[in-house]
Amino acid sequence: MVLMAVAWSEAKSFDYHSVRGRQASVTLNGVYEGESLELKGSSRVQGMKGFGPNWSGDAHLLWLGESGQKMETGFRVPGTGRYMVSLQMTRAPDYGIFSVAINGKAVRDGVDLFSEKVELSEPVDLGEMYLEEGLQKLTCTLTGANGKARAKGGRQFLLGLDFVRAVSLERKKADKVDALPVHVPKSPRRQVSFERIQPVFAKYCHRCHGQKGKVKGEVDLVRLSSAQAYASDPVIAKKLLAVLEMREMPPDDELSPKEADYQALRDFVEGAISDHLRKENTLPPVTLRRMNRYEYNNSVRDLLQLEGDVYPLPEKVIRSFRKYYDPASGKFPDSVHVGNRALGKNQIEQHLLTGVTPFAIDLQAEHGFNNRGDQLGFSPILMESFLGIARALLGSPEFDGYSALTAGFFSEPRGLPRNEWSKLAEERISVFLEKAFRSPLEKSTLGRYLGLFTRAVGAGGGFEPAMKEVASAALASPRFLYLLERKQGDDDPLNTYELATRLSFFLWSSIPDSELLALAGTGRLSDPHVYRDQVKRMLLDYRSKALSENFARQWLRLDRLITAVPDFERFELYYSRIGCEQWKLGLQTMAEPLLLFESIMVEDRSVMLLVDSNYSYRTTDMASWYRPGVPFKGKGNRGRFGTNSLVYTRQAVNSRREGGVITCAATLAMNASPLRTSPITRGAWVADVIFNRPPPPPPDTIPEIEADDAKIEASGQTLRQRLVEHQVNPSCVSCHKRIDPLGFALENYDAVGRWRDSYRSGLPIDAGGTLFGKSRFEDAVGLKDAIIENPEWFLRGFSEHLLAYALGRKLELADKPAVDAILSDAMATRGQFSVIVQSVASSYPFLHKAMAQNPVNQ
Amino acid sequence: MKVRSRNLSRRSVLRGAGVSMALPLLEIMGKRSQAEPGAVTPVRVAFFYMPNGVVQRSWHPESTGRGYDLSPTLKPLQHVRDKVTLLTKLDRVKVAGTDGHAQAGACWLSSAAPDELSPAGYPLKMTIDQIIASEVGKDTAFRSLELSCNPYEDNRESVYFDNISWYGHGHVARSLRDPREVFNRLFSVKDHAANKSILDVVLDDAKSLDHELGKGDREKLGEYLESVRTVELQIERVTKRQKEIDGLDISPPSKPWQAMARDEFIQVMGDLMILALRCDLTRVATLMSAPERWGSPLMVHGLFNKPVDHHGMTHGQGNERVRRELEALDKFHVEQFARLVIKMDSINEGEGTLLDNVMFTLGSGISDGSLHVYTDLPTVIAGRAGGAINPGCHIKSPDGTPIANLWLTMAKTMGVRKTRIGDSTGSLNLA
Repeated sequence: MVLMAVAWSEAKSFDYHSVRGRQASVTLNGVYEGESLELKGSSRVQGMKGFGPNWSGDAHLLWLGESGQKMETGFRVPGTGRYMVSLQMTRAPDYGIFSVAINGKAVRDGVDLFSEKVELSEPVDLGEMYLEEGLQKLTCTLTGANGKARAKGGRQFLLGLDFVRAVSLERKKADKVDALPVHVPKSPRRQVSFERIQPVFAKYCHRCHGQKGKVKGEVDLVRLSSAQAYASDPVIAKKLLAVLEMREMPPDDELSPKEADYQALRDFVEGAISDHLRKENTLPPVTLRRMNRYEYNNSVRDLLQLEGDVYPLPEKVIRSFRKYYDPASGKFPDSVHVGNRALGKNQIEQHLLTGVTPFAIDLQAEHGFNNRGDQLGFSPILMESFLGIARALLGSPEFDGYSALTAGFFSEPRGLPRNEWSKLAEERISVFLEKAFRSPLEKSTLGRYLGLFTRAVGAGGGFEPAMKEVASAALASPRFLYLLERKQGDDDPLNTYELATRLSFFLWSSIPDSELLALAGTGRLSDPHVYRDQVKRMLLDYRSKALSENFARQWLRLDRLITAVPDFERFELYYSRIGCEQWKLGLQTMAEPLLLFESIMVEDRSVMLLVDSNYSYRTTDMASWYRPGVPFKGKGNRGRFGTNSLVYTRQAVNSRREGGVITCAATLAMNASPLRTSPITRGAWVADVIFNRPPPPPPDTIPEIEADDAKIEASGQTLRQRLVEHQVNPSCVSCHKRIDPLGFALENYDAVGRWRDSYRSGLPIDAGGTLFGKSRFEDAVGLKDAIIENPEWFLRGFSEHLLAYALGRKLELADKPAVDAILSDAMATRGQFSVIVQSVASSYPFLHKAMAQNPVNQ
Repeated sequence: MKVRSRNLSRRSVLRGAGVSMALPLLEIMGKRSQAEPGAVTPVRVAFFYMPNGVVQRSWHPESTGRGYDLSPTLKPLQHVRDKVTLLTKLDRVKVAGTDGHAQAGACWLSSAAPDELSPAGYPLKMTIDQIIASEVGKDTAFRSLELSCNPYEDNRESVYFDNISWYGHGHVARSLRDPREVFNRLFSVKDHAANKSILDVVLDDAKSLDHELGKGDREKLGEYLESVRTVELQIERVTKRQKEIDGLDISPPSKPWQAMARDEFIQVMGDLMILALRCDLTRVATLMSAPERWGSPLMVHGLFNKPVDHHGMTHGQGNERVRRELEALDKFHVEQFARLVIKMDSINEGEGTLLDNVMFTLGSGISDGSLHVYTDLPTVIAGRAGGAINPGCHIKSPDGTPIANLWLTMAKTMGVRKTRIGDSTGSLNLA
């Protein structure tokens, strides 16, 4: 908050669109670029810029040969020990199938590089291996080609190697995370003495808060007669900070302090809170969390290596029709082809796998997310669901073709006599369970699952069914279903396995992958460089889409749009104009803010674009939404809606009335009622979502307002005048003064989010107001300007939302130092997405279960 | 429902939309259980929840006692008026600081006193249905049954708005929303039995974790342990009754709930509940006709031609037209309840009917939605509870009578040995 002054002076002219990451070209530790490797035989370097921006270093190693011939090269590792090795290859129409050997030892077979178009492969995982310091020989032998691959000169096929990645798994000395430095910002806040501030309190506050027995809002400041008194009353201090931050106090009709006094008041209160936290700074513990429905889907998908989801999820607003989300590319596509039915609600009826249906959705907390342990209970019905889903999934006729484990974990060993099965099973089960349970496997646990296998086989069952029984049990185990964090000392950091799990649930809503687990196993994850690299790597992985599907969707409360029903007659446009009330054209708008969010993630832009962006992703149909002049052409043409997919294209937003998440059709429409706008709902949404300052619950007596603005306007009043007229009670007024301007600022958008210059009756629209008693604005554009000029307000709100999501709990006052640290990183980089994520992942609360020694900024 | 066609002629079939009961079969079951030496017909208890309160002036009859005049909203009960008891002037105490609606639903059946707050700020602890289930759920296949006709897929409200049954303050007895899922749970015996071996393993997994966790997390894991144990018992008991259940010859609801009209949805869920009670698969059930608040418009077919926002209407009832619509909606809920009561009354059981052996309560945790008032809660009990209730009356309690008195009375009727629940001051005389 002290940073405000710094950013303020130049913020107005700053264009947040200029913040842009170059994630793709950032190298991670242990990466050996194909183009820099030794070139032997027919190998050469090929520039890849012409094929897109995705190739690391814009080039790869290209090799050409016949079946049986080898591409040979090498890379040097810095020390002796165990490594996790993978290859990033290129795929193309004339590429072959290869086997891979390291130092002459075969490590992978049947790597098919054929693809209809030139693109990067999924990383080719070569697994863990022991490497001596120095040169490692890498050999790829052409063993054949895909039936569809086109040979060069009749017999020859190609290979493209973008890079080799060898991550050291060597154990560090300590395997605790305490090596990870916790970011504590050096705050430039000035020390303000009680003597300096006392007259300011006396002049502006005491009259209503303490003098002559008058104690408004139960806040008595007269009785607080020293700095210590403030520091030992966190409840009052917290209230003071909130009203000062938002400039709610002193109220408009009272004397207002000069800017310097305001600043001093804040600095003093901040100081009091810091003093308080230095003494008493226990973070609320993260309550044992069960996976929610979305996380369970992702975790099972990744554990069983499924081609896609376990069940169709309404949580996935955007169903990827053609795979478009490729964060490693660093560029979000200009044109996105996405599943369409997903935008309606009927997709839940479809099945991916016969008999597999999801359990009921876990509901969002009142002002939070649906990953909070305190609200994620367990019950017999849920137990039955978990048992049932596992059984249905593994037993479904489609499963074997859907899981990559069919050829591995589940497959019956050929030629191995029955009585020798158990040794092999033990090997496979240990690897499987370690991944499922995200921790070193205890002998007793392994024994239980082995027992299950042995009993199933003993009863005459086959190898595969017995392994499926083991997998079913693992999927219902508390060690899989809960994010377990062991009991430890008050300020002990999480162990590396727990940290890996927190991280993967934060960024992927799923379990850690092999690389992350291997780094947890050796403790290397607690090396700050390795840790940051992992966060970076995970953001570049396609699984980071979870941040959009799970975080952004819930943060924006976008689900509300599903049940929005603007009046059918008045807002025909919202529906299809083909006379069908079921098919809502309006649901197309739901993807818009999410695609904006994804583009910010992939291109590592500033999250300030969520407030105001000069581009957006829209379908052609949505043009008639935003441009009153553009006629809707689809009337009467049902086929036009393409029930399978829609194309969203990146479009320049010409008017600042559009762009960002506040002024997009989806959020405006979902916060309206059928026959009119709902400024209070919109205002409360802005206060909660944009600033993370949700208004208190409404009082019991809520005066009614006509449901149809036509009726209000018929009386010659605008909605705003009518609402103000109804605020008879002073307690209503004080609260609404805060919420309403945020909603009325959006009054130029009708109930489905279209711009209007005046009300339908011709009455003028008053969209003016003041943001936090400070910045005057006249309309929505002015509101966005005010937020952009004070970036701290939004960045704080966003950081708090993201931290609460990452932790799976509600934030408390004790989290403030961590939020301040994240905010200072965010401010320093003008809100760059990956920086905020890194900062959250390195924050004290994220690295600890509970704590006693929260570092407080000095 | 699918009944084999050759049997149709000799069966009277009680039709719901998708599931229905083949009555003669149930009668056979009834006889069989009576043939067992020492078998007594058990009393069963069920709750039917209406969200957002009711329009006050149309709910309360002027007269009390036997032969009271049914108010407009209660009119749908006229055919069973001798079999229901109307209770008025029963109150709850609203606790400041949390949402009025969340508290209305989640704490309606709560056994907490008003000053007994959970960490979330609600006077919430084990609900009365679960207290009763702890006593009478020991012998049935399912400890209790929680159903909700919540049709919303927009994730708008939190867990406190969507559940009236709780094992403890932070431990929700999650309700099922999909009738097909309910059906499979109750009647697919094989699905249950197959899980036995897995349960043993995961239970040991959970036990072995216990010592590794801190206190708070151990409590949370307790929910898991308890769930596994409940499911284990369930498997045992369901398996014992396998033959009977297989013999029921019923098939799952054919329509997906998404395609059902409101009344259809509620009736199908109600049918499943009645079936479970009738077959003594459980003795405790809760059914939410819709969740609390949830300000998303909803189509109530046959009543309004446009989707309506129930909660929004309660705050607009100062307007005459809105109030009339709201009264129609209240009446709709009472009618759904009445239809289920009539169904219960048409099922023979022993000398009487199923209704004679139940205590089926209609109510809401809030009385006047426009002002969030918690006093004089709408409450109707159908059934005789095996003779413990002498229905047909309107019983108006003295001012300030806590509804906990009713919960205490019910608990006692069901054999729970308690002298006080929450802020109860005594029992009610329903006999």
